[in-house]
Amino acid sequence: MKTSVLLFTLISFTGIFSLQAQESNEAATILEKVDKNLSAQNRIFESSMTIHGRRTSRTITSKSRTRGEKEALTEYLSPASEAGTKMLKLENQLWIYTPSADRTIQISGHMLRQSVMGSDLSYEDMMDDRKLTEVYSAEVIARDTLRGERVVLLQLTARSSDVAYPVQKMWIDAEKFVPLRQEMYARSGQLLKRVDLFDVRRIQNRWFPMRMVYRDMLKTGGGTEFTVTSIAFDTLIPEHIFSKASLR
Amino acid sequence: MKRFLLKGILKDKGRSLLPVIVVSLGAMLTVFLYSWVKGVMGDSIEMSSNFDTGDVKVVTKAYSLQEGQYPNDLALLDVEQLLKKLKAEFPDMDWAPRIRFGALADFPDSLGETRAQGPVAGWAVDLLSKDSGEPERFNLPAAIVRGRMPEKRGEVLLAENLATRFDAGAGDTFTLFGTTMEGGFTFVNYTVSGTIRFGTTGLDRGAILMDLQDARAAFGMEDAAGEILGFLPVFHYDDRMAQEVVSRFDTLLESENSLLDQDPEYSPVMLTLGRQAGMAEMLVYAEAISGMLIFLFVLAMSIVLWNAGLLGGLRRYTEFGVRIALGEDKGHIYRSLLWEALMIGSIGSVVGTFVGVALVYIFHNIGFNFSALLQNASILMPGIVRPAITPAIYYIGFIPGVVSMLLGNALAGRGIYKRQTSRLFNELEV
Amino acid sequence: MLTFTLSFKNLMGNGKRTWLNVSVLSVAFVVIVFFNGLLDGWNKQAETDTIAWETGYGRLSHPLYDPYDPYTLADAHGIPGLPQEVIAGEQALPILVAQASAYPNGRLVNIMLKGIDPAQSLLALPSRWLDSLPEGIRETTIPAIIGKRMAESAGLEAGDRTVIRWRDVNGTFDAREVTIAGIFRTNVPTVDAGQLWIPLETLRQMTGMYKETTYFVIGEELAGSSLWIGDKAGYGKWDYTPLEVLMEDIENVVEAKKGGMMVISALLLCIALLAIFDTQVLSIFRRQKEIGTYMALGMTRAKVITVFTIEGTIHALLAILLGAVWGIPLLALLRNYGIPMPDMSDQAGLAIGDRVIPAYSMLMILSTVLLVVITSLIVSYMPARKIAKMQPTQALKGKLV
Repeated sequence: MKTSVLLFTLISFTGIFSLQAQESNEAATILEKVDKNLSAQNRIFESSMTIHGRRTSRTITSKSRTRGEKEALTEYLSPASEAGTKMLKLENQLWIYTPSADRTIQISGHMLRQSVMGSDLSYEDMMDDRKLTEVYSAEVIARDTLRGERVVLLQLTARSSDVAYPVQKMWIDAEKFVPLRQEMYARSGQLLKRVDLFDVRRIQNRWFPMRMVYRDMLKTGGGTEFTVTSIAFDTLIPEHIFSKASLR
Repeated sequence: MKRFLLKGILKDKGRSLLPVIVVSLGAMLTVFLYSWVKGVMGDSIEMSSNFDTGDVKVVTKAYSLQEGQYPNDLALLDVEQLLKKLKAEFPDMDWAPRIRFGALADFPDSLGETRAQGPVAGWAVDLLSKDSGEPERFNLPAAIVRGRMPEKRGEVLLAENLATRFDAGAGDTFTLFGTTMEGGFTFVNYTVSGTIRFGTTGLDRGAILMDLQDARAAFGMEDAAGEILGFLPVFHYDDRMAQEVVSRFDTLLESENSLLDQDPEYSPVMLTLGRQAGMAEMLVYAEAISGMLIFLFVLAMSIVLWNAGLLGGLRRYTEFGVRIALGEDKGHIYRSLLWEALMIGSIGSVVGTFVGVALVYIFHNIGFNFSALLQNASILMPGIVRPAITPAIYYIGFIPGVVSMLLGNALAGRGIYKRQTSRLFNELEV
Repeated sequence: MLTFTLSFKNLMGNGKRTWLNVSVLSVAFVVIVFFNGLLDGWNKQAETDTIAWETGYGRLSHPLYDPYDPYTLADAHGIPGLPQEVIAGEQALPILVAQASAYPNGRLVNIMLKGIDPAQSLLALPSRWLDSLPEGIRETTIPAIIGKRMAESAGLEAGDRTVIRWRDVNGTFDAREVTIAGIFRTNVPTVDAGQLWIPLETLRQMTGMYKETTYFVIGEELAGSSLWIGDKAGYGKWDYTPLEVLMEDIENVVEAKKGGMMVISALLLCIALLAIFDTQVLSIFRRQKEIGTYMALGMTRAKVITVFTIEGTIHALLAILLGAVWGIPLLALLRNYGIPMPDMSDQAGLAIGDRVIPAYSMLMILSTVLLVVITSLIVSYMPARKIAKMQPTQALKGKLV
C-alpha cells in the first residue's frame, strides 16, 4: 500500500516534471514557429495606420522596406502633408527626411526614448525589432479559444534586462502559429498594452496577421489600428536603399 | 457760524494756510502712494497676464485640464467666428489668439545635416499685424538683444541663450520639428530675425517667439488657436471686472449655440487670471501686502496730521482765552474749533486728492521708466511702472486728511474745558 | 557750541510739546523701517521660499543634469564619491529624478518623479507625509506627495490613487499605483507643477538606480565649505552651483522692481519730512518774539537760523533714539513671528508657513536713518530761512512778515 502510494507520487511527480520540460520545449517551438511566420530576412510592405485620437482620427499610409532587424526605411505616402517624409533606421540611429523642409534630421540620444509624436511608441520602441526567441523564454500557461480559434497561451519572460516589456502574454493560434492577441506587462505585473491581431492570411508560405489594433491599457481612448495592405517577404532590396543617400 | 468760520479760514491766511498745505500734502502723498503701491505690487501679475494668463483666457475645457503640456490637439476651432463674437460683446477689450507649443529645434550644418538640436517651447502670437498689441505685451522690441523684429512670415525670435548655445544668430535658418494639431509630423524652416532676453533662465534656455500665422501653417491649425487671451481695458488687473466678463461670456454661450462644440469637452470656457494655476495665491498675497503697506502709510500719515492738528489747536489757546474772556461759551468755542478743523481738513483733502489724482493720471499715462536703472536693460519684464487707477484713490486721502485733523483738534480742544480762563489767556503769552 | 546748547535747551524747555513731536516722529520712523523691511521681505520672499523649498544653499549635480532639459534625465544620475563627512552631515540631500507618465482618470500626463528622503529636514517639502500612509495601504502602493498646482491640473486629491508608468535604467517599462499621501501648497512652482515626490529609496529600486542621485541639495553649513573652491575631483567631478547662480533669476526680478520700490521708500520719507516741516514752521511762527529777542541781543541771522535748524534736526535725532528704544524690540518680534498672510482654506491643499518675514538689513536701516537726518536738516532749514527776512523790531512785536 505504502509503496504504491510512493510509486504513485513518484510517477505523478516525474510526470509533472516531464510534462513541464515538454511544455517549455513546446513553448519554445511555438515561439520559433511564430518567429518564422512574422520575421524575415527582408520585407517590403505597404500599410495604413489609423490613430484614434481624442478628437479626430487620422490615417497615415506608408511603404516600408526592412532588412534583418536593424535596417528599415519607411516612406509616408499620405496624407498629403506628410507624403514624401522618410524615416531611416540603421543600427541604433534614426534619421528623418522631410521634403517640405528639405532637411535630414537625426533623432539622437535622449530623444530616442521620447514618444513619437504623442503616440505610445518611442523612437526606440520603433527601432527594437528583435526576434521574440532572442529576447524571451516562453512557457505554455493555458490552452483556450479566442474569437473561435484554438489558441495556446504563452507567457514570455524577458531573458535580458534591456527590453521594454519584461513579461508578455501571447494567445497564439494553435494551427497557424500567429499571435491573435498580445499583452504587455510592466515589471510589477501591471497590464500596459494590448494588441489584437486579425485577418491572418497565407502569404508566401507563412501566416501573417494583416490587421492589428493597438491599445494603451492605462489610457482611455480609441487606440491605434494598423493594417497591412500588401506585403512581400525575402525579395531583393538594393543595398543603397539602406543608406542616407536614399532619404533625399 | 459755519459761513463765518469759512470766511475766517479763507481770509486769515496766517491761520489757515499752513494747516491746509500740510493736510493737502499729506492727502496727496497718501493718494499717490496708494496707487503706486497698487501699481508696483501688480506688476508680477501684469507679467503673468501678458505672458501666460491674460486677464481672462478662453480655451477648450479639455485644454484647460492639461494646459501645462500645450495640448494643441485640444485647441479651439472656428476662432474667427469666436473672436468676432468676443469683439462684439466686449468691444473695449483686446483679444489675442495664441498658440503655445513644444518642439525640437534643429540647426543644420553647411550640408543641411543636423549640427545641433534641442527642445524648445514657444509662443505664436500676432507679431506682424499693424495694430497688434502683442509686441508691446512681450516688451518688444525693447527686449531684442541682437537683430530685429520679425517683419515677414517665416521670421522668428529666439531666446538669446538658446541662440548662443546653438551658435545661431540673426539671418541663420533652422528647422522646427513638431507635431501638428492632428498628431502628424511637421518640419518647417525658419529664419532667425533676432534674439531676445526674457530674464528667466528657463525661458532664456529654450524659448521661441513666432508669428501666429506661421504657427497655424506649421501645426495644421488654420482658424484654430490654443488659447485666446482677453485683456481688460484697465492697465492693472481687476478681478471683479474679469469675473463679470466671464459671467457675461457664459450667458453668451448659453444663447449662442453656434459657439459650442458638439462635444462639451471642446466647447470654449473662459477663465479669469485669478482662477488660473497658482495665480489665486499671488493675487491674494499681493492684495494682502499692498493692503498692509497702505494701512501703515495711512496710519503714519494720520499720526503726523493728527499731531499737526493738535499743535494747531494748542497754539490757539491765547485766542481761546480772549474769546472766553469776551463771554463766549466754552462749548461754542470747542464746536467752532472742530468745525474749523473739519473745513481745513476737507479743503486740504480735496486739494490734495485733486493734485494726487492728477499726478496719478499723468504718471499712469506716461509711466515711470526705470529701465535705465536695470543692468540687463533688455529683459522682457518691463521697467516701466504705472500707478494704478482704482476707485479708492478718490477717497483714501480723506482718511488722514479729515479724520486725523478732527481728532487732533478735538484732543487739543479739550484744554479749553480743563483750564482756567485766566490760564488759557496766559498760556502762550511770551 | 553755544548754538547747539541753546537749541537743546529750547527743546527741553518746551517739555511736553517737544516729546509729543518726537514721539510722533519716532512712530513715523519705525513705520518707515518696518515698511521697508516688509517690502524687502516681500521681495526676498521668492528667494527665501526657493531656498527653503527647492535649492537649499547650493546644488551639486551630475555633470549631465540640465534642469531645463528633461531629455538629459535618462543619463544624469550616478554616485559622485563624496567625502564621507559630507554624506554623514545631513547637509547634502540626495534627489533622484526620473521621467514618467501618470494616468489620472485615464489621461496621460507627463510627469517628473523625484525621490526624496522622507526623513529629511533640509527642505520645507513635507516629505514626512510619505511615511504617513496607514498600514495595509503602505505595502501595496507607492506613497507620493504633490503640490497644489499639480493636484489641480491632474485632478488628484489626497488619498487618490493613480497609475504611473516609468522606464528603469535599462529602458524596461514598469508601472505601479501611487497613493497621494498629501498635497502641499508652496509659492515655488518648480517643485510643484508636473512633479510627483516619492521616497528616494523607492525610486532607486523602481529605476534600478541603486544608491544613485541626480543632484544634491546643499545645506547652509556645507555651502560655505572649502570643498567647492578646490578641484572638482574633491566632489566626484560633479557640477557645483552656488546660491548666487541659483538665485540669478529672482535677483533679476527684484532688480527690475527696484525703481518702483525706491519711489515707495521716498514717499514714506515724505511723511517724516512733513512732520518735521510742520513742527518747524509752527515753532518759527509761534516764536517770532523769541527770534526778535535773539536778534535784539545781537545774534546774527545766520546764528538764529542755525539754532532753529539744529532744533529741527535734534527732533529727528531724538525721534530716532526713541524709535530705537521701542522699535527695535517690536520689529524683532515682528520678524520672529512673521506677518501672517490670509488663510486660503477655500483652496485645496494644506497651508504651510504663509507668512512674510520682514527683512531689515543694516544697510537699509542706516541709510534710512542717515537719509532722515540729512533731509530733516534741509527741511528744518527751509522754514528757518524765513527768519533771515524778519525785521528784528517787527519780530519782537510778534508780527509775521
